Amino acid sequence: MKKKLIAFAEQLLIVANIFIVFLLVFENKLVVPKWLQPVGRMHPLLIHFPIVLLILAVVINLFRFGITEESNRFYLNLSQKLLLAGALLAAITVLMGLFLSREEGYAGNTLEWHKWTGVGTFFLASILYWINKTLWQKPFSLKIGGALIVLALIITGHYGASLSHGENFIMQPVIADEENKVVPIEQAIVFDDVIRPILKKKCASCHNPDKMKGELILADSLSILKGGKSGKLFVPGDPEMSLLIQRIHLPLEEKKHMPPEGKPQLTEQEALLLELWIDENTEFSKKVVDLPATDSLRIAATVFLQAPISDEKFEFAEANEKTIEKLNTNYRTIRPIAKGSPALTVDVFNAAAYSSKQLSELAEIKKQIVSLNLDKLPVTDDDIKSIAEFENLRKLELNFTNITAKGLKELAALKNLHTLTVSGTRLTYQDLKEQIPSMKGLKTISVWNTGLSESEAGRLQKDNTGVAIITGFKEGGRDTLTLNPPQVKNSTLVFDKNIMIQLKHPIKGVEIRYTLDGSMPDSIKSPVFDNTTEVDKTTSVKAKAYKEGWHSSDVITFDFLKSTFKPDSAILLYPLNNVHLADGAHTFFDTKLGVIGANNPAWANYWAGVRNNDLGVVSLFKNPVTISSVGIHYMVEEATGIYPPAEVEVWGGENEKQLKLLVKMKPPLPKKKEPPSLRLVEGQFKPQQVSCLKIIAKPYVKKKDRYLLLVDEMLLN
Amino acid sequence: MEKEILEHGFTFNRRRFLSTMSLGVGSLALGSLLMPDLFSGSEEEAITAGIPHFAPKAKRVIYLFQNGAPSQQELFDYKPKLREMNGKEIPPSVRGNQRLTGMTADQKKLPLVGSFVDFKQYGNSRAWISDLLPYTSRIVDDICIIKTLYTEAINHDPALTFIQTGAQQGNRPSMGSWLSYGLGSENKNLPAFTVLLSRGIGNGQGVYSKLWSNGFLDSVHQGVQFSKGEDPVLYLRDPDGMDRKARREMLDNISELNEMSYKQMGDPEITTKIKQYEMAYRMQLAVPEVMDLSKEPDSIVKLYGPDCLVPGTFAANCLLARKLSESGVRFVQLYHQGWDQHGNLPFEIAKQAKDVDQASAALVTDLKNRGLLDETLVIWGGEFGRTSYTQGELTKDNYGRDHHPRCFSIWMAGGGIKPGIVYGETDEFGYNIASKPVHVHDFQATILNQMGLNHERLTFRYQGRRFRLTDVSGKVVKDIIS
Repeated sequence: MKKKLIAFAEQLLIVANIFIVFLLVFENKLVVPKWLQPVGRMHPLLIHFPIVLLILAVVINLFRFGITEESNRFYLNLSQKLLLAGALLAAITVLMGLFLSREEGYAGNTLEWHKWTGVGTFFLASILYWINKTLWQKPFSLKIGGALIVLALIITGHYGASLSHGENFIMQPVIADEENKVVPIEQAIVFDDVIRPILKKKCASCHNPDKMKGELILADSLSILKGGKSGKLFVPGDPEMSLLIQRIHLPLEEKKHMPPEGKPQLTEQEALLLELWIDENTEFSKKVVDLPATDSLRIAATVFLQAPISDEKFEFAEANEKTIEKLNTNYRTIRPIAKGSPALTVDVFNAAAYSSKQLSELAEIKKQIVSLNLDKLPVTDDDIKSIAEFENLRKLELNFTNITAKGLKELAALKNLHTLTVSGTRLTYQDLKEQIPSMKGLKTISVWNTGLSESEAGRLQKDNTGVAIITGFKEGGRDTLTLNPPQVKNSTLVFDKNIMIQLKHPIKGVEIRYTLDGSMPDSIKSPVFDNTTEVDKTTSVKAKAYKEGWHSSDVITFDFLKSTFKPDSAILLYPLNNVHLADGAHTFFDTKLGVIGANNPAWANYWAGVRNNDLGVVSLFKNPVTISSVGIHYMVEEATGIYPPAEVEVWGGENEKQLKLLVKMKPPLPKKKEPPSLRLVEGQFKPQQVSCLKIIAKPYVKKKDRYLLLVDEMLLN
Repeated sequence: MEKEILEHGFTFNRRRFLSTMSLGVGSLALGSLLMPDLFSGSEEEAITAGIPHFAPKAKRVIYLFQNGAPSQQELFDYKPKLREMNGKEIPPSVRGNQRLTGMTADQKKLPLVGSFVDFKQYGNSRAWISDLLPYTSRIVDDICIIKTLYTEAINHDPALTFIQTGAQQGNRPSMGSWLSYGLGSENKNLPAFTVLLSRGIGNGQGVYSKLWSNGFLDSVHQGVQFSKGEDPVLYLRDPDGMDRKARREMLDNISELNEMSYKQMGDPEITTKIKQYEMAYRMQLAVPEVMDLSKEPDSIVKLYGPDCLVPGTFAANCLLARKLSESGVRFVQLYHQGWDQHGNLPFEIAKQAKDVDQASAALVTDLKNRGLLDETLVIWGGEFGRTSYTQGELTKDNYGRDHHPRCFSIWMAGGGIKPGIVYGETDEFGYNIASKPVHVHDFQATILNQMGLNHERLTFRYQGRRFRLTDVSGKVVKDIIS
């Protein structure tokens, strides 16, 4: 019976070993069901049994050598049984510990150490049991094993205690707790509440009265002023000459870099604060709020002292999932702020679909709503009454709603509200002045684009130092901007007989003035554009936009191009450049104009180009036409080597075999560094009846360099 | 006899082995009871509900992507040393074993070139900002400049694909798609992920719809491109002669047919399709409202600059981005093309900067005024940086810069990112990172983190493995989070 029991226990030990190894391997997949959690939580209770049993087993094992055979056997037997029981209980404790560690709030190095030393203790105990069984006559290994177990137990226990009671549990009553103190911004003193905590956290572990590295102590103002071995710490008002700042900014690898490599480093924010504090003459007693509102140190210190607000834990109960689902509509989105959180965030959209019911229906989840977005909806003061019921509301967005003083008053009931946006509402200085002080939890309020003047906003901020009042930019404070030039509305600028010029400007109230004779438009002589201008020949329209309160725009030129005749067919004589194929021969008569920048594939669409051979196109007319001029529209971009044609020849006749030269043109070359432009070269000749027209344009060649020629349209008149 | 003993031993051992084994197997079975996920990949299902892993700092992202790689030496990374050493060859110790692109590999000399533009310090962070960005210099206290982002790719397409999708090869979901998948849409009348394109006069590089692809995720998460012109969303408008009632009837009937086919085939894409049709129907009302810029007051036009009323410009897209974001679009992705200054840099970059400077700053200011900046993460930056040496000829007033993956500057604002700081330092040549490197995956992990998602847990199982935006690396840059 006894033997059977021991055999069973031994088998159980094997099972436990395998089981624990398995759990450890797949630990991150472990999900502890709710009913098992209480078992896990009994870990700190049960832990004491294996500790006692294992230590007892080890101690008895130490006793057994050197006494009579019989007592030796007795002690061995007893020690083994204690060891087996201890190991089994250790296994259970380890399991419980693993379960417990999966619960929230356990993480970090201490936990890892505790886990692995604990598991190690258990494995050690199991191994020792099997060694004891087979090698019981070898005392040395047993003693070592026993010692190891005891050592492991102590270490595990230590980490375990740290886990459940906190670091430095034993010494805690002696160490004053300063770190977690939250100081209200109104009372905070720059040195005591900002600078000293930084030094304490990052420097004082070596520079304290006990350690005094470099003969420096960073504990109080006196010792800080005194400096250390290398001299004074800082020159008030000159951070760059201050030893403290210099050492902080040395490269990390430098021996003199502080804090030394491997120690927690200063964050950017902390370094900046130290720098600013020195820059502003190292005051020891100044309050944060005594500094001017726009002062760098004040702003940085305010950020430093602000407790993060988004990481809070919510205590209230979860809302029913079905209710949330029911309340979620196409125009109202409700969702938990995070997985497992009872807190809900609600967004309502679409002014046209809005009704007061969308808020009153939320009564079912009024406890759970922490954030509500109603921007740009016609929310009235009556609706705000339902909002005032949302007792846990933290953030409320009411930009561009119809809230008035009455509604604002209702919001005072929301004790948890810390962020409120009422930009673009009709609230006045008086309303805000009266209500802001009554909203006790408020931290931030946006009041841009309300009736507030700059000085009123300043007063409001002064009266409510604990609240950040966001007023936003003010019109007129900025520099005067330049208008953008007018735009053309015509779908194409190429026409056959006549065209109505259509100009527009995106900004309301802009006056467009224009000229048709190539002169610069001005605000006095040039006519105002009124959509009645028609042209019947190729015309360069120059236009400029004017508006009160803006600088007038640059002059923009639109070339309206007349092309009376369109050939019935056209063919290319020579190939085009393979990145400037455009639409082949059709390109020149499709009324589509290109833009500057065609060296870039994205802009190349309407440009047909050649470089290594001539551009040649033959166009045919079914019925003969009388022609007296031919124009070529091309691009010039000196910087990237896009040049005008060196020469253009126009041939005409009845058919391709009987052509005679009608005109030759030589457009001017661009000057060095001339800005890019679109140009037209036109050749006139005696009116000529033709059915076939051949146009040859030769790209410009200088020495051995061949330049790119880009043409988007040809004009036949 | 010996044989029997031997056999007995075998039998005995086998029996013992088996019985002990059975204990082991039993214990494994017991353990697996505690691990519901051991044999299934059900982690993904847990996130399809669209609820963040933890309380987010940011609800929405607006990514002002500067496509083509803006030169950090001319915008944010002030390097007086380059002016000092103008024309001198880059020291081999600085260049190290960095491979060159095909465009400068044959160049015999790699002379350093100092920036043609001056820098000044601004704000509490005393950040150096170039004179090309006068408006950005006014918001330095609202933004966090990261000078040490680095990437693995050296050419536009792979680098762009890498920063947008976490892989260089394409066909993975874009960042916006991941967020749509992880968080769902806030406003059911608009897509969760929208894309707006614009381009400047500078040398441009293409953007392709693969950059806003949903990859292997459900097609609901695909980015929807809003274009300029009368039809911002293609095919959304009812054709002439069809009214809303007819559309409704048609949708109801199609939906019935789709339900039937879903019952038959069981393809989840069919339900997606039904949902998409319904959303398009609602979008018909919501989109015109969002896209209408005519009601924006003069003060807003002045804030963003006059171009904001010219459809298709970067300024107009910034204003639209604010409107979309305000209406609950999770991820608004802008691309502004034209930053690829291999040559003619001084001329082109000045124009590019002018195109984007005022509107980018305006967006941050505008969001701040509305109290939305704390919940909206704004990101400004390109796909890589540019070299400290010139590409092509270095003349008195002209030069170019080639691609440089080792460091580049971007900025982030709002959404729980620390305002008014400069993070990371490059060496005095602006070529290598001196401290605090931020890998593209770190950057992506940080964005997800601000949105309440753990980048290691936002996964999707596809073709037998779990995929993440950050592949198998990435660390949240804790130092820039407030």
